[in-house]
Parts: sequence; C-alpha cells; structure tokens
Amino acid sequence: MRLQAERVAATIVTMQRNAAALAGIAALVALVAATGFVRQAAEEARPPAVELAIDVPPFPPAVARPFSFGLRSLVADLTFLEAIQVFGARKSNITLAEGLHEDRLLAKLLTYSTDLDPKFRGAYRFAGDALPRHTTDGMEGGIFAAETLLKRGAVERADDWQIHFLLGFIESYYLEKREEAAVQFAAAARLEGAPAYLAMLATRVAAHAGDLAFAGQLAQTMLAQSSEESTRAEWQNRLLDIAMERGARDLDAAVVRFRAQTGRLPERLDALVSSGIIPAIPAEPHGGSYFIDALGAVHSTHGERLQIRNKAQNQAGVIPQ
Amino acid sequence: MNAFATQLVVLAGNTLRELVRSKLLYNLLIFAVLLIASSMFVAQLTIGQWDRIILDMGLAATQIVGMLISILIGVGLVAGEIDRRTIYPTLARPLSRGTFLLGRYAGLLLVLALNVLVMMGVLGLVLHMAGYGISQTALQAMLLIFIELAVLSAAAIFFGSFTTPMLAAAFSLSLFLIGHLLGDLQAFGKRSHSEAAKLATSAAYRILPDLGLLDLKAQAASNLPVASHAVWTGALYGLSYAAVLLTLAVIVFRKRDLK
Repeated sequence: MRLQAERVAATIVTMQRNAAALAGIAALVALVAATGFVRQAAEEARPPAVELAIDVPPFPPAVARPFSFGLRSLVADLTFLEAIQVFGARKSNITLAEGLHEDRLLAKLLTYSTDLDPKFRGAYRFAGDALPRHTTDGMEGGIFAAETLLKRGAVERADDWQIHFLLGFIESYYLEKREEAAVQFAAAARLEGAPAYLAMLATRVAAHAGDLAFAGQLAQTMLAQSSEESTRAEWQNRLLDIAMERGARDLDAAVVRFRAQTGRLPERLDALVSSGIIPAIPAEPHGGSYFIDALGAVHSTHGERLQIRNKAQNQAGVIPQ
Repeated sequence: MNAFATQLVVLAGNTLRELVRSKLLYNLLIFAVLLIASSMFVAQLTIGQWDRIILDMGLAATQIVGMLISILIGVGLVAGEIDRRTIYPTLARPLSRGTFLLGRYAGLLLVLALNVLVMMGVLGLVLHMAGYGISQTALQAMLLIFIELAVLSAAAIFFGSFTTPMLAAAFSLSLFLIGHLLGDLQAFGKRSHSEAAKLATSAAYRILPDLGLLDLKAQAASNLPVASHAVWTGALYGLSYAAVLLTLAVIVFRKRDLK
C-alpha cells in the first residue's frame, strides 16, 4: 500500500516536472512569436533611413594627424576608402557641372589622405587615374587637382615610377607641358620596375605632344596600367574616340583635296569616293557614321569630335578647397 | 644562478601561468585576431595596395590590443593584488618587494611577447593569403610595438605601485595618449610666442616618453625601408625608459605601507 502511494507520488512529481518543462517550452515559443511580431511592428514603425553622406572629416588634417595617436596611416586609409566609394558612385556619362560635386569631394578626400600620410603611394596613383574626367559636354575635369596631387606625390614618392608616369601623362596629354612631361617620363624610366618603352616615350614626347598617334599610344599605355574596371572602360572608350578622330581627320584632308580639285565643297562624303580621292569612307569605330556639314566640317553621328590640340582651352580643373 | 635570478624566473613563470588562464587576455587576443583576419575583407574595398590596408589594420590591432593587455593586466598584477590583499602570502616569503615587481613585470613581458608573436603570425598568414609577404619594415614595426608595450607595462606597474587599480589604469592610458602627441606638442611649443608654453612643452618632452619614436606603422604600410640604426636606437630608448619606470616603481613600492 505504502509502495503504491510512493509510486503515485513519484508519478505525480514526474508529471509536475513534465508540465513545468512543457510550460517552459510554451513560454519560450510564445516569447519567440511575440518577438517576431514586435519586430515586424518595429520595422513598420521605423522612420525612413537617413543616408550618411560621405564627406571629408570635419577637422583638418593638421588636427587629425596628432589626435589619431599614432594611427594616422589607418585614418588615411579610411578617407582613401571613402574616395573609392565616391569614385564608384560617380556616373560616367555626365556633364562637367553634373559631376562637379563628386569631383570636388574626390579631390578633397584624396588630398586629406595624402596630407595625413604624405607617403601614401596608392592615393597618388588613384588621383592620377580617377580625377581626370572626360565629360559629355566636351570638357575635361579634375586635371589641375590631379596634377597638384601627383606633383606632390612625385616629390614624396620619388621612388614610384607610376606616379611620375601619371604626372607626365597628364602634363603631355591634357596640359601640353611637353618639356615637363618629358622630365617626368625620363624620371619614371630610370626607376626600378618601369617598362622599357618609357625611355622612348620620354624622348618622343617633346617632339610629338598633341599628335594623334602619340595620344593613342598614351591612352593605350593608360589602359594597360589601369586595374580598375570602370577606368579601363573609360580608356577603351577613349581609344575609340581617338580612332574616330583619326578617321575624321582623314576625311578632313580628303575634303580639302576635293575642294582644291573641284573648287567646291562635297555635299555628301560619298562624293569623295566617287571622285576617286579616297577608296572608301572609313568605318566609324563606335558603330555610327561620318557626315559633312554645310561648312565642310566632318562630324560623327556618335557625338563630339575629340580635340587633342589646344586642350588648354578646354580644361576645367578642380582645385581642392 | 643566484637567489635573485632564481626568484625572478619562478615569479615570471608563475605570472605567465596565471595570465595564461586569464579570460580577459583571451577575449582581447580573439578580438585582435578577428580584427586582423577581417582586414582581408576590408582590403577588398580598395583598388590595389591590399597589403597596405591589411598591414595598417593588423599593426593597429596589435598595438591597441597589446596596449589594453599591458595596462589592464599590468595594473592588476600589483595594484590589483594589493587591492584584493592577495599580495600578503607572496610577500610573506623570503622575497624582496623589488624582486616581486620585477618578476611580475617579466611574466607580463613574456605574455606580451607571445601575443605579439601570435598576432604577427596571423598577420603574416592573412598577407600570404592575399598574395603578399611580410616586409622587413613590418617586422621592425612589430618589434617597436613590443618595446612600446614594454614601456606601457612598466608604466602600469609603476602607477600600480602607489595608487589604486582604477587610477593606475587611467594614468597609464593617459601616458599612452600623451606619448603619441609629444612630437606635435614639441612642435607647438617651438611655434608658440609664450615662454611659459615653450618651457612647459620642453619639460613635457623631456620627462614623458616619446612613443612616436617607437612608431613605424606608417613606414611599414608604405613599405618604406627604415635604417636598422633608427630601429635599435628607438628600441634602446624604449627599454631604458622602461628601466627608469621600473626602478622608480621598486623605490616607491619598497617604501609603501601595505597595512
């Protein structure tokens, strides 16, 4: 009788324990469900996300340098990474005015990075690649900012051939500073790791700057140097522009010959072929076609012709403030 | 081996064994390892020069975590033991107070050396995975980070020898911050027109440790060669400063009333 009572008591205790465990599990499930419900409600009630705009730090590099307590190189990396984000978000086919804010921000961030760490090789190279921008309204932005940064880089990292090369490229391609560019190419050619053709480039630049073939060679070299996808795409496009300009110049010369022979301008470019001056109209490399206007100027249906000469009139440099 | 050296080795060994069981040490070490490993992913955000980002993050993690270990654990080794009154059984043995301090310091240095080696190994592994090697300048930077940690540990022991753990940690942390500001502070003093400011900055420059002399992180990140003379004189400066702090700590601690 006693044994039976003990068994019943034990069974009751076991049942009580099971009930307590079940209640615990039920409470847990209820809590999880309630958390999920509250989370959904919180998500619905959440105010719109505030976009954190990328900007240069609010304090100048002269302050950031000591107060980074020995971590200035890391802070320079952070502003450099911000510059890469700005570059990645910048649209490629826009006018100078449309991209002016990003151009300025990019220049400021890279200047900040190199102020904090004047030996930051990657920031100088990136400035040379990313700051110059060909715009849809036939302008070029960021040239002066890139030149300023690269000039500093050429002093601080005199051991880096790519910085000298980029500076030489900007000086010859955009600014027509032939002698200065030749000095930079020559300096680059003397450094370890520089390709052999740089010495030849240095000798050619003084004689041929502004020349279309030379511009093509430089753009080809820049394409080979670029590692970033959008920069490569931009240079590939630039090579097509140069090829387009080459075709347009051939047609310009043919128009001059046609006028000398006939005393009038051709109404259509086909007239140059039918008169035997050229065997065929060159293919437009972008996939468009060439045409002639009433004044005898050759154009492409793709867009504005490339201006290699007198580029100084076309520059719109962005000087960091 | 004489009695002093034997006691020193035994104390350092005991301290090492004690610290190896410390949860705080493991937490900080795991944090540093994770930070260094994550630098691989951060580096992918950049264009070229991945090694720079990995080195910057890796060396910064080694320095910051090492600094926290030096200060938080270093303070606990003397000031913490006095606070908890666990120092009495040790000092009841035939052991001088100076030997106790130096033994504790030596044990802490061993732990710091192991930490720096582990972090350097992880950093080397991450660099290897990214296709880079660890440069000589990075190794020199690591060595000087260890010397900086030796100075900070000596400071933590020194402050811990006469004040509470909280205050000792605050003083040591301040010394770390000022130590990295000192070069700019001196430049500020030179440019100032006030004679008092010039005097104060000059005095601060002479008394406080110039931790900028032990900082090669920027050079390592830019892979710039550093003359071995600069490394050894910097290291010698750090070690002699640590020796001064330890001597002061021994003098103060010998006279301290522990009742």
